[in-house]
Amino acid sequence: MDVWAQLMQGFSVALTTQNLLFCLAGCALGTAVGVLPGVGPAVTVALLLPITTKVDASGALIMFAGIYYGAMYGGSTTSILLNTPGESATIITAMEGNQMAKRGRAGPALATSAIGSFFAGTIATIGLTFLSPLVVELGLKFGPPEYFALMVLAFTTVSAVLGESTLRGLVSLFLGLAIGLVGIDNQTGQARFAFDIPQLLDGIEVVTVAVGLFAVGETLYFASKLNQIDEKLESIKGSIWMKAEDWKRSIGPWIRGTLIGFPFGTIPAGGAEIPTFLSYAIEKKLTKHPEEFGKGAIEGVAGPEAANNASSTGTMVPLLTLGLPTSATAAILLSAFQQYGLQPGPLLFESNAPLVWGLIASFYIGNVMLLVLNLPLVGLWVKLLQIPRPQLYAGILVFATMGVYGMRQSPFDVFLLYVIGLAGFLMRRFGFPTAPVVVGMILGPLAEEQMRRSLSISEGSWSIFVTHGISAVLLGITVLVLLAPLVMALLKKKRAVAG
Amino acid sequence: MKAPAGQVAVAAGVTAIGVLILGGSFFLPTGGGYAQVGPGVVPRAVGIVLLLLGVFLFREVFTGGFRGVDEEAELGLPMDWKAFAWLSGGIIAYGLLIEHLGFIFASTILFVMVARGFNSRRWLLNAVTGLILASAVFAMFNYGLNLTLPAGVLKGVLP
Repeated sequence: MDVWAQLMQGFSVALTTQNLLFCLAGCALGTAVGVLPGVGPAVTVALLLPITTKVDASGALIMFAGIYYGAMYGGSTTSILLNTPGESATIITAMEGNQMAKRGRAGPALATSAIGSFFAGTIATIGLTFLSPLVVELGLKFGPPEYFALMVLAFTTVSAVLGESTLRGLVSLFLGLAIGLVGIDNQTGQARFAFDIPQLLDGIEVVTVAVGLFAVGETLYFASKLNQIDEKLESIKGSIWMKAEDWKRSIGPWIRGTLIGFPFGTIPAGGAEIPTFLSYAIEKKLTKHPEEFGKGAIEGVAGPEAANNASSTGTMVPLLTLGLPTSATAAILLSAFQQYGLQPGPLLFESNAPLVWGLIASFYIGNVMLLVLNLPLVGLWVKLLQIPRPQLYAGILVFATMGVYGMRQSPFDVFLLYVIGLAGFLMRRFGFPTAPVVVGMILGPLAEEQMRRSLSISEGSWSIFVTHGISAVLLGITVLVLLAPLVMALLKKKRAVAG
Repeated sequence: MKAPAGQVAVAAGVTAIGVLILGGSFFLPTGGGYAQVGPGVVPRAVGIVLLLLGVFLFREVFTGGFRGVDEEAELGLPMDWKAFAWLSGGIIAYGLLIEHLGFIFASTILFVMVARGFNSRRWLLNAVTGLILASAVFAMFNYGLNLTLPAGVLKGVLP
């Protein structure tokens, strides 16, 4: 079947009343948690995982995906009006956008970011539609050694390339892998690191880890370290619509932002931070108004906003076609698939085509919904920012503890949540990234399975990973990614000594 | 330059986790099956790598501190231990009380304690807000979604 027929079939799934409502709920919820500081899409999807027992797969996944890309729209609102990035990928928006708001141009800043997000989200979804079948075809040729090598590469890029320190990124990743080890080994039934505690035999739930690191850890850090800092909420004065000149200055950055963001999302390098920084740097070079940069240039909002949306949609390509999550939220989406006994990957496109294409079709619909939710209705979300901090964080923790306790009605999980929250606090305090922990704990057991399967095929010979061409290349790239910074540092030192 | 105490502790913690996992891997079979790779192999590798990463962290600590972390700026933001204690106490109290008092009251206590941690002293307002929020969530889950949260002391009082 060709792409069009598949996509049309997808729309017939996504356009049912039930799924439209799930899509709307996801987009609205995503915008809300994107706007609110202290809670993001990863925590929200994790807390909602229990509904997978009540709702069918297409509805739940459409909603979860809506939360994921909806949060990108919402995050920019907070960045512009509060100068505190709602999401980490909107740091750049916080710089230029907030300056625009300070000069009474909050309206056009919000408009260029919402329309830019819509433009980028839609183009990226078209990219996703046509790129996925190609990647699926490639993926079908992959065996266990290739998958193992691909996962090792994803581990490395997620932990070592992003963030300021390869070492601390790797520590986070291996802590995640260690968490993934806890529980019963699914191939031999052997209990590992459960210490005879019955609650640990089932393994540590992703909900507990995500909520502990992202909600409890962040709240502890904010309360004890940052609460002294004052925030000022800018108001929206005048019209929110853009003038002709704003349009003219936004279109170029939108296009360039999309072109930078989408490829970055699709390669297993994850994260929307790098493309937003790149887009900002390019716009700063190309602009005809360099004097405005740093003081509220519309290009500096339009480009990065398009880039982060395109990249978050791009992340869906490796997730859906190869089962490779490259961000914390994507990892939790993967575990949502697993709740239904589904494994994203090339086979899913064959066995569950209506589900996958329904999900892809819902991205087109979701982006339209988000444009409406975030432009004419922006005032509604601004009200959320007026909730006083004490009550906001108290409410977040009520939901966090409820979600973790409610999973299996065990106080043990609440104490575990606190311990992981403490770890999250320490990681934040000492500059360790948290996303690799979640990716490691979810992807780790899958990688181990592929590794042991490969070794079954080769009857225990490790050479299988280098005798298979694709696997050897992927592992080679991994080594390069890890060693490149070291070599560069050494060369620099040598040159410094020589000079 | 003196090594920052906090970073020393973090490096020690990572090393200790590595040792724990490496040690634990010796209680797991590493052979067997067609793969000749048992459930102990990956834990052993993870343990060794964590141990090594811990050693590298130590090296950074004693050669100028973690790279890219401005320890002085961090220390410049004073740590508010009172707030930390209120939040910690709130979550631990929730774990201890949920089975006895039930969801609604345990959540209300958590709400009040967290808000206090964020310097809100409007006890009555916070208690009422927490109670309303917890009751609404309880009603939504127990009557709407059929997911049971414990009623605790209200058992028999509520339908």
